[in-house]
Amino acid sequence: MTTSEVLRRWWVGAAVLAALLAFPAFAPRYIVHIANFILIYTLPVIGLGFLTGFTGRVSLAQGALFGVGAYTTALLTTKFGWTPIATFFPSVLMTVVLAVALGGAAVRLAGLYFVMATIGIQQIVWIVLMNWIDLTNGPQGVRSIPAIGLGDYRLETPQKFYFLTLAVAVISYILAKRVIGSRLGLYLRALSDDQLAASSVAVEVGRAKVTALALSAAWAGAGGFLYAHYVRYVHPDMFGLEASVLYLVMSMFGGYRSIAGMVLATGLLESATEYLRPFGEFRMIAYGMILLLGMMFFPKGILTIVRRRTSARTAGKT
Amino acid sequence: MFDQLLIGGLATGCIYAVVGLGFTLVYRTLRMVNFAQGQVFMVGAFLGLSIAQRVHLPVLPLLFVVGAVAFALGMVLERLVFRRLYHNHEVFVVGSIGLGIVLTNAVRVFFPEPVPFPKVFGSHVVQIGTARFQEAYFWVVVSTLVLVVLLHAMFAYTRGGRALRAVAADAEIAGTVGVNVNRAIALTFGLSFAVAAIAGVLIGPLYFVSFDMGDMVGLKAFSAAVFGGINSIPGTILGGLVIGVLENLAGGYISSAYKDLVAFVILLIMLIWRPTGLLGRDTPVKV
Repeated sequence: MTTSEVLRRWWVGAAVLAALLAFPAFAPRYIVHIANFILIYTLPVIGLGFLTGFTGRVSLAQGALFGVGAYTTALLTTKFGWTPIATFFPSVLMTVVLAVALGGAAVRLAGLYFVMATIGIQQIVWIVLMNWIDLTNGPQGVRSIPAIGLGDYRLETPQKFYFLTLAVAVISYILAKRVIGSRLGLYLRALSDDQLAASSVAVEVGRAKVTALALSAAWAGAGGFLYAHYVRYVHPDMFGLEASVLYLVMSMFGGYRSIAGMVLATGLLESATEYLRPFGEFRMIAYGMILLLGMMFFPKGILTIVRRRTSARTAGKT
Repeated sequence: MFDQLLIGGLATGCIYAVVGLGFTLVYRTLRMVNFAQGQVFMVGAFLGLSIAQRVHLPVLPLLFVVGAVAFALGMVLERLVFRRLYHNHEVFVVGSIGLGIVLTNAVRVFFPEPVPFPKVFGSHVVQIGTARFQEAYFWVVVSTLVLVVLLHAMFAYTRGGRALRAVAADAEIAGTVGVNVNRAIALTFGLSFAVAAIAGVLIGPLYFVSFDMGDMVGLKAFSAAVFGGINSIPGTILGGLVIGVLENLAGGYISSAYKDLVAFVILLIMLIWRPTGLLGRDTPVKV
């Protein structure tokens, strides 16, 4: 990459960031509200990307892990009186510990067998959230979760909360890029392409896979933390198999191994509930059709259309 | 109490086994999991309901008609939808879940509330030992047995059944010796749809039918198939029965709240301990 290209990348990044920062000043409250959800969901989706895109392990338990993060902070703040900010690390830690405890042994399974195991994990977590009523309130959910605040300044409106979600999302994006660019990222890509070849050049396959699982759980836990303090109400059904499917689709629609693509797909699919509104009672049918047709016609993600065009354009240059 | 739980569990287990067979049939042939299987079961129940409400049919013709319609539906959907999803298992998983969402919500438009199913199996109460149960339970078990025997006969003694087995063993070689592989795959989907839909009609009279009845049953039937061995037909049937009985016993003796947990805990333990399941044979890649 030449220096001018690096410079251009920085400019593009800065421009996008400036636009995102200025955005809530112009956009109506409701749009900011949607934007918050999109930014929150980029966390579990990028986290899933570590497993799905880079390690080749498809997980359908990300919704449950997101829920573990959300429930940890919800219970610590409402039942034990912690201040919201103090629960960030416990939420992330709890999610990672649970993910490794339940999935650590399963992550060595190949392909479809890992998908099967994650469905088991997803259902177990959901059933426990639904039925351990003494701890989680079961189907009543946890209400009146406090807003995040510093002193008297409390992030209660979507506009105020927006800057926190934006900051966290940007940090998570940069961190994810770092992880992928690091030696670990290299290991993961290697073992996803050919596990045997990777292990023959001294990649510790087992450890790399568990690390990918832990990272994906950490991102999910952080997302769950934000979600709980933004919606301020959690219910087991928010973290069911449907949510896991949604995150998986978001991480797949963007295209293979592209974090920017994952973020874009999250935006497109999360706002789908808005632009599918005209369908009325057929909304969910339309949503199912998007998943089905998307997979039928763009199995490598929707961004492949864009990429095919740009690669055709740059092909003449070399 | 034990007899009661055992017989109830066996009947539920039969349903898991039959729906699970749908997973197994497709998995053996394509190494893919069709996650719309539970929704096909649900569609089968509503198909049976719609027919039984209009025409008064005895049980056997009703099961046959529903099976035939579902078979045709499976063939058509294979041609139009599934065939475009064979890229890799992620694409197939998400695509079939999408299809499941479409089916669930299409039925929801017509039947937003749970509906009682006509008592096509009669409503006598039968007593065996200390257990008392509806006649319909008996029908579920008998129909499952008949279905399994028919399937076995088809796979073992008919030309078409042998062709399906050949494709399941090695599609490429089956193709070179003159088996029409595409047709075999379409037939496989037809069969898997038919068995799931028949299971839907069997369970209908025992409970209310509702658009979301397939979600949990589908996932439990899937656990049953994995537990018994997802590429083995006897394994899946065994897995279904074991999970049905175990969860009913757990619900009766331990806690009814955590009854649903049994299937998934078994699934997870089995995958870690022995991914091929109780009776499965081929070893999955596990480097």
